[in-house]
Amino acid sequence: MGSLNKDTVIAVVLIAITSVFFWETFNIPELGYASMGSEVWPRIIMTPLLILCVVYLVQSFRKKAAADGKSVSLGTVISDYRNPIMCFVIFFVFLLTVEYLGMLIAGVLLTFLLLTAIGNRTPKALAMHVAISVVSVGLVWSLFTFVLRVYLPEGELFSIY
Amino acid sequence: MIIENIGLAAAQVFEFHNLGLMLIGVFFGIIAGAIPGFTVTMAVVLSLPFTFGMEPVAGLSTMLGIYVGGLSGGLISGMLMGIPGTPASVATTFDGFPAVRNGKAGFALGLGVWSSFFGGLIGALVLATLAPSIAMIGLEFEPWAVFSLIIFALTITASLAGDNMVKGLIAGNFGLLFAALGAEEINAIDRLHFGIDELSAGFAYLPVLIGLFAFSQLLGDIEDPKVAKASLMEKTDIKVKIEHWNAVRTIGRSWVNVLRSSFIGVFIGVLPAAGSSISNILAYDQAKKASDHPETFGTGEPQGIIAPEAANNATAGGALTTMMALGIPGSPLCAIMLGALLIHNVVPSPVFISEQPVLAYAIFTAFFVAHFMMVGMQSFALNAFLYITRVPMYTMAAVILVYCAIGTFALNNSPFDMWTLFWFGLLGYLMKKFGFPLAPVILGVVLGDLAELNLNRAWTISEDVSLFVTQPWSLFFLLLAAFSTLFPWYQKFRGKRTWTLAFMPLMLMCLSVPLFMMNTPIRMGIGIAMIALGAWLLWRSHRTGWAVDAADTVEHKPTIEAA
Repeated sequence: MGSLNKDTVIAVVLIAITSVFFWETFNIPELGYASMGSEVWPRIIMTPLLILCVVYLVQSFRKKAAADGKSVSLGTVISDYRNPIMCFVIFFVFLLTVEYLGMLIAGVLLTFLLLTAIGNRTPKALAMHVAISVVSVGLVWSLFTFVLRVYLPEGELFSIY
Repeated sequence: MIIENIGLAAAQVFEFHNLGLMLIGVFFGIIAGAIPGFTVTMAVVLSLPFTFGMEPVAGLSTMLGIYVGGLSGGLISGMLMGIPGTPASVATTFDGFPAVRNGKAGFALGLGVWSSFFGGLIGALVLATLAPSIAMIGLEFEPWAVFSLIIFALTITASLAGDNMVKGLIAGNFGLLFAALGAEEINAIDRLHFGIDELSAGFAYLPVLIGLFAFSQLLGDIEDPKVAKASLMEKTDIKVKIEHWNAVRTIGRSWVNVLRSSFIGVFIGVLPAAGSSISNILAYDQAKKASDHPETFGTGEPQGIIAPEAANNATAGGALTTMMALGIPGSPLCAIMLGALLIHNVVPSPVFISEQPVLAYAIFTAFFVAHFMMVGMQSFALNAFLYITRVPMYTMAAVILVYCAIGTFALNNSPFDMWTLFWFGLLGYLMKKFGFPLAPVILGVVLGDLAELNLNRAWTISEDVSLFVTQPWSLFFLLLAAFSTLFPWYQKFRGKRTWTLAFMPLMLMCLSVPLFMMNTPIRMGIGIAMIALGAWLLWRSHRTGWAVDAADTVEHKPTIEAA
């Protein structure tokens, strides 16, 4: 059996997730009158899914270990995937704050932070990022609010309509 | 009656505001298709929040404009930069880019544009004529057959989705599982929500799509810091004038290639889940094999541009045919358009064309008209593309990410949808990183409820499981599903192992069985023809001593990617 590799870990995680979902199907109320209960279809999906995950696990054992034998450190991962990680973190913060700041302010901040995190950080670039953030988000916000009549979150702190 | 319906449909499509929306859609579709890293599917997904508030005809016309524009837009970057703008234009770069380097940019672009135009028109013709006929066949489908058809759609997606079929099937099953979360339609029971109130209603369909396709795609585009900060094209002083007349004359002389490639495109499009990313490569392959001078392919050969571009636009017609006639998406992009129809309370099914003929014919008409707009807009879009290539990728990605958030919220005015976008964006990104295809997930999400509904109906009518194999159409689709799961191994070992010589004959003979079960002269005749063809293939292999021919191996392994 080869050493643990990425696919093995993923397969184990998928088996765990599928098992959790399968366990949850036992919390679905059974209906005496239904010809096919609500728990049947999820179980029908999860049975082959579990089998496939086990097949995937077996396939992963057959794969050779990485040629250089090096393990990947967390620092390497963060360094290699810095941009996507930054985007996810900033977007997550945006989702937490949009309720308080409102879509317009939160959107402008989101755009500015994304541009600055991924892009250049010279004074000229920062000024450009501010302009892009204000103009692009302002345009989209105005389009949705005044043209399409979709009312976006005002925000509890500033209540910007 | 049909003429009256066409007239009413045309009146709606040719309304001034509708034409304006289509023009905007075609323009943005061309630009989106031209920018490597953005995809037509993403462009259509991003347009959904706008089309949500429109009338069905206007919304669908806009999306069809984006679709048609996007399929053609990929050739611009493919030829000018050597990077296909969409997977539908991969094969176009093989000869398009060399042609531009040889100083024939205007001619090459003209060939691409007009091939797309004629291929698309053939696809539109097939759509208008075939969809009603296929819908009539679709009316025969009992719940067992519909369920089996969905299984086939998922298995063929998984088999075409990459090197690992197991990953594709896992992805498809997870798609079905996501669709099963929340309120169950038939018994009105909330399930699999783990006590979280927001999950009781399940995931909204469109934030899932936008998250999986757009969010994850954008993050992949800016992953490399150098690529993220660079503009798309360094040299932006290119001035190109499309040579329309030269191109049309050349295409006129190449009508056999155009027809063959278009029909390849339509056939691939009709298959559930297959799309333009496959048809363009297959058409190129066939054009090369049929050519008297195959050695010229790859050096700027005009036939090498005509074939893929005719095929990829014709595929759209085939894909729409399956979607409208059967309610089964013919491509991942059609899955999104299906979702758009559902938002407008329009349910594509075998009865769709007969029950809503004006809307159906409006879709045919809009698809047809969009191709004329595409030809007209290409020159304009080409100049716009050359300006846009100066913008760094990270700027576009950041602005579009924010737009995704706002657009997603606007669908249902629900913050939970933005969270759905976030989590599925993360999931989509991780799936891509770990080699899991997205197309099967999308199909699972789109078709999950329909699969459960039909399984429930089948079970209510009879608990006899054998009906899945005794009902002819159900058996037909289950056999197709079984063979499609073996297809990756067939592709891998074709030209290397003897058993591959028996694969196609065996498939043809097995598929003839349900046709005989249907007990109609035409279908039994088709069954006989399939057996005869299978027997002839076996006899031919026997005559050559079951020798495998490595030269027949397909050079480019086509896979599905979102167009």
